[in-house]
Amino acid sequence: MSDLYAALEIGTTRTVLAIAEAESGKRLKITCHAEIPSTGVRKSQILSIPDATQSIRSVLREIEKRQLAQGSKVTIANAFLVVSGQHVLATHAEGQALVNSGTVGNDEINEAARVARQIPIPKGRELLDIIDQDYVLDNRGGLADPKGMSGNILKLNTLQVHADANRIRDAKSAAEGARLEIREPVFAATCAADAVTEDHEKKNGVLVLDLGGGSTGYAAYVNGYLVSSGVIGVGGDHITNDIASAFQTTNAQAESLKITTASAELGQYAGENARAHIGGFSSLMESRTISRRALDTVVNARLKELFTIIRETLEEQDILNHLHAGCILTGGGANLSEIESLAEKTLGLAVRRGRPLGVDGLEKENNPWNFAAVTGALLYAQKTDDSGSFFDGLFGRFFK
Amino acid sequence: MTATSPMLLLGIGTAGARIARGVSRAYGENLRFVLTDTDATTAEGDGEFTLLGGDRLAGRGAGGDIVAARLAAEDSISRLDPHLEGVRLAVIVTCLGGGTGGGATLETVKRLAALGIPSIVFATLPFAFEGEDRQRNARGVMSMLEEAANATFFLPLDKLVGESDNMSEAMRRACDTVASGVTLFWRLIEKPGYIKLDADHVRRLIQGVGRGRFAAVTCQGPNRAADAVDALMRSELLATAQAPVRAILCGVLAGEDLRLSELTTISNGVQETFGERVTFDLGTVNDEATFSGRLSVVVMLFEMNGREPGAPAVGGALSRRKKAKSNPLGVGPTGRGRFNNAERTEWHGEDLDIPTFIRHNISLEF
Repeated sequence: MSDLYAALEIGTTRTVLAIAEAESGKRLKITCHAEIPSTGVRKSQILSIPDATQSIRSVLREIEKRQLAQGSKVTIANAFLVVSGQHVLATHAEGQALVNSGTVGNDEINEAARVARQIPIPKGRELLDIIDQDYVLDNRGGLADPKGMSGNILKLNTLQVHADANRIRDAKSAAEGARLEIREPVFAATCAADAVTEDHEKKNGVLVLDLGGGSTGYAAYVNGYLVSSGVIGVGGDHITNDIASAFQTTNAQAESLKITTASAELGQYAGENARAHIGGFSSLMESRTISRRALDTVVNARLKELFTIIRETLEEQDILNHLHAGCILTGGGANLSEIESLAEKTLGLAVRRGRPLGVDGLEKENNPWNFAAVTGALLYAQKTDDSGSFFDGLFGRFFK
Repeated sequence: MTATSPMLLLGIGTAGARIARGVSRAYGENLRFVLTDTDATTAEGDGEFTLLGGDRLAGRGAGGDIVAARLAAEDSISRLDPHLEGVRLAVIVTCLGGGTGGGATLETVKRLAALGIPSIVFATLPFAFEGEDRQRNARGVMSMLEEAANATFFLPLDKLVGESDNMSEAMRRACDTVASGVTLFWRLIEKPGYIKLDADHVRRLIQGVGRGRFAAVTCQGPNRAADAVDALMRSELLATAQAPVRAILCGVLAGEDLRLSELTTISNGVQETFGERVTFDLGTVNDEATFSGRLSVVVMLFEMNGREPGAPAVGGALSRRKKAKSNPLGVGPTGRGRFNNAERTEWHGEDLDIPTFIRHNISLEF
């Protein structure tokens, strides 16, 4: 029987649930996925647990419906939780081991990893991941595998990715309200990166930007490992809010304008007097038109600022110049027209949208980058399962 | 606020308190209202009272000093909180130009916004004879109130009284006129009618609205509906347009004798006069005890924030922002929109939740 995995993302604009199956060591297949608009979430933060629970219930029902249409029913008991938001931080931690024999062996490597994993994270935080970076043997850094090398002190650099524990608890509470247990929280940006990058890209240096509704996560890889990661608390919702503010529209109208009409770049429309139509949303408002140029100016200003913040952040860490494989955009924000072009100009990198790799089941998706983070979480689940650490009895499965 | 009412009346300053008490008296039922002032003597009378700036001003009032009143309000505005539980819509009556009305109204509106309570402000503007200082004080607060409140109705006192009115009586008469108008608005929302308008409907209506115009007339006799329309057409309160009308809220309050033809006359007349192609909402109140033989019409015109139809409000927002920067009160618009109560995102000291085009003063070509 195949192993089954589930991943849940309670995003600012949508709640996504995906389930996948694979035989041990085989390629993962996403058998069913669904997304519904989120309620009770603002800037990646749950503001109302009952509302978030309702969203989770709805997406579970949608999955059930789709499964039944496929002739099977999977009762999802638990899932990995994809976490985003500006409360997620990545901080450096270092583990050391004395090399008594003068030559690094497995014992020293394991000891350095053990020490790095014992370094406590700040109070009130929950650890999402510890990511090994490079080894330093005495003064020689950037080592991928120090085994057999000579030296006295071995250090392992790691990144501890952690999040506000209360936010995680809120998400767990919301899921539990829908009878869904959260097995493990995982970070959206690194999940998305794992889903859309290949090893050679990580070695050559690549940046993944996960453009969510409430925030934008980033993960930069150089020499094959994660060198920087974090979250900027600006997402697609900010673009919507900017449009609503500029043109005095409802959020629904602004969202519609963003999705159907707006462009990240200026001048991508015919004529200087091009107009965009805003439909009346109720009897209280009449339909009207607005200038396309003005609309795109609002969107362009916001996105240019966001990409500039990312660029400056990476420049300060001396990472930007090492990203030779360019930048990959994921998340719902990646759907915005001309966003690749603007990102290219602002970041000075080659930019593309990221299609999840290493999985089947998303071939028919028009915008597969929307599902990069949950796909990464599923891949992580499979990897964890294959390593045999846990994951027994997650599902009850019934075939009709 | 009655036991079941989601609305609360707030009177700010001595004159605002006078208007609020006038509304309460005219309403004639258990209307709950809260008064706030820097002058402790305002507490003498009906209504719940909150003293602002007790430590700073010792209850002696702000003496017409708008900055002192604002600081007093900043000190103690949270004292209002216990009065605001369960409130879904706050109606504020105040007089701009003086100390407490000018200084505390904005802080009150901001506090309401922070608590997620929409506000409608009815604010009188000083008489011309009160001098340029008070006029300037009022103008300074107006733009900020427009930004902070959901809807603002500015009522120039000069237009509420006749030229022949006795000067000593003018203020009292003006306050009574405002009170009667607000009372009609209150009845429109609170009393059942054939076409009901409730607080939630008004909440939706005032989303994103800035300035409005407001007038109420009462007529009787066989042609009372046509007379009411005629009076509204001639009303100076509705005449001075700052911007095109976006929506009209019209309330008709009458007894059992209200005829369908009268509603048609009023509906058609108001739309023809103030905007045929704008959104129009009509509500009615049947209150035989209060309106027997009489008919009152309340009209609220919601404007487009200084924009031409179809044009965005950015230019206006930017210009208002610049004004706010140079204002002595130093209180600018938030611009955070739906992120108002969310955790802030800052970068190099900038609040990223505020639209980029506003923070960077990017002009939009419409």
